[in-house]
Amino acid sequence: MKNFHEIELLSSYLDGQLNITEAARLEARLVSDPELASVLNDLRTTRNILRKLPARKAPRNFTLTRKMVGLKPPLPRSYPIFRFSTAFATILLVLTFAANSILPRISFGAAAPAMASEYGTGGGGGCEEPCGEAFGLATEAPAATEAPAATEAPAATEAPVPQITLQATSEESLREGELPADSLQAPKEGESTTADEPGSNTIIPIAWQIGLLVIIALSGLMMWAMRRSASRKWQ
Amino acid sequence: MDEISLIQSAQKGDLDSFNTLILHYQDSVFNTAVRILGDDDLAEDAAQEAFISAFRSISTFRGGSFKAWIMRTVTNACYDELRRQKRRPTTALEPETSDGEEMDSPKWMADPSMTPAEKSEADELEHAIQHCLEALPTDFRTVVVLADIQGMDYSEVAIISNVPLGTIKSRLARARLRLRECLRGFEELLPASFRLEGESIL
Repeated sequence: MKNFHEIELLSSYLDGQLNITEAARLEARLVSDPELASVLNDLRTTRNILRKLPARKAPRNFTLTRKMVGLKPPLPRSYPIFRFSTAFATILLVLTFAANSILPRISFGAAAPAMASEYGTGGGGGCEEPCGEAFGLATEAPAATEAPAATEAPAATEAPVPQITLQATSEESLREGELPADSLQAPKEGESTTADEPGSNTIIPIAWQIGLLVIIALSGLMMWAMRRSASRKWQ
Repeated sequence: MDEISLIQSAQKGDLDSFNTLILHYQDSVFNTAVRILGDDDLAEDAAQEAFISAFRSISTFRGGSFKAWIMRTVTNACYDELRRQKRRPTTALEPETSDGEEMDSPKWMADPSMTPAEKSEADELEHAIQHCLEALPTDFRTVVVLADIQGMDYSEVAIISNVPLGTIKSRLARARLRLRECLRGFEELLPASFRLEGESIL
């Protein structure tokens, strides 16, 4: 019976893994210890049996296909440019739609109800930009300095401006009597001219949006053609 | 084209170069898998998985022995398969003869519970060895398959198994010891030159 350390030494000796000193010491022991020599012989026989085991050949080829490894055809170098342009144009298009639909409401939506209530005309929906201009026309003399400011920065200053001008006009109308009638006519004319223009409420022109659409379509088409051509070449 | 060039091309995504490497190593890979798993179909799956995984991670190969690297991949695939088997144990159905009776396979004949008469019918040494290999713990089996069956040196086995050299020495000695004891039960199958001499070592 041998302890495991000796078995490990014999196994390593069998594979030539012992250094010269260790190997010499073990060889000396092997000469004097027949049991140890017998164990070494058994280990050698076991190793030889394993080495004689017939090598199994692969039953088929394990070569890989592109599909197996999820490879995609190599795309041309210009492909990323088209991909970027499509993505960028799409983002811009979405932004233009958002700007055209949201910004006019933010700028003029707050001013309209206030003006409508002060006038008492009840035309809140149509009284947006033209009304502001009309007030400017109606109050040329008293509010000459305030009206331009209202048109330059509509969102911030328009709400208070009409109130001031309206008060001024109502006081003057009491004195002069004729001015309010003119001031009410002027907005009507202004309304009719500005409201008739198509897309007058859009901040970004429709032509730009069409241009972006064209870029998206062309880039997408190019990407599709490149992918198709690459996959054909690959096959 | 030499191996290094093929590896470099494969690292750039050239599948054809990698397939050339596969053709060179597929027998060793399959042989290792079949000795560790003890089943041809499972070994086939493990080998295929190993090659797919190897191609996907070939960029991580930083030189050295490509055989050791690919063997490590197949060893890992075998471990994955063995873990899967542990989670979902299955009982293999024995193939039937034309009479509808179960066919006695040598592997079954080599079962420790079989009688000496049945043992004598197990005339294939290969199956006896495979039975003994399968009786080993997975770590020991892997080391003995790589070192003794594939003929790899200790340092390569250490790289593949990702354990220190001393552990490899120890595992190999224990594995050989157990195999010796196991093969003693199949003495009659062994050629005269391979008959084991001693009694129990430990």
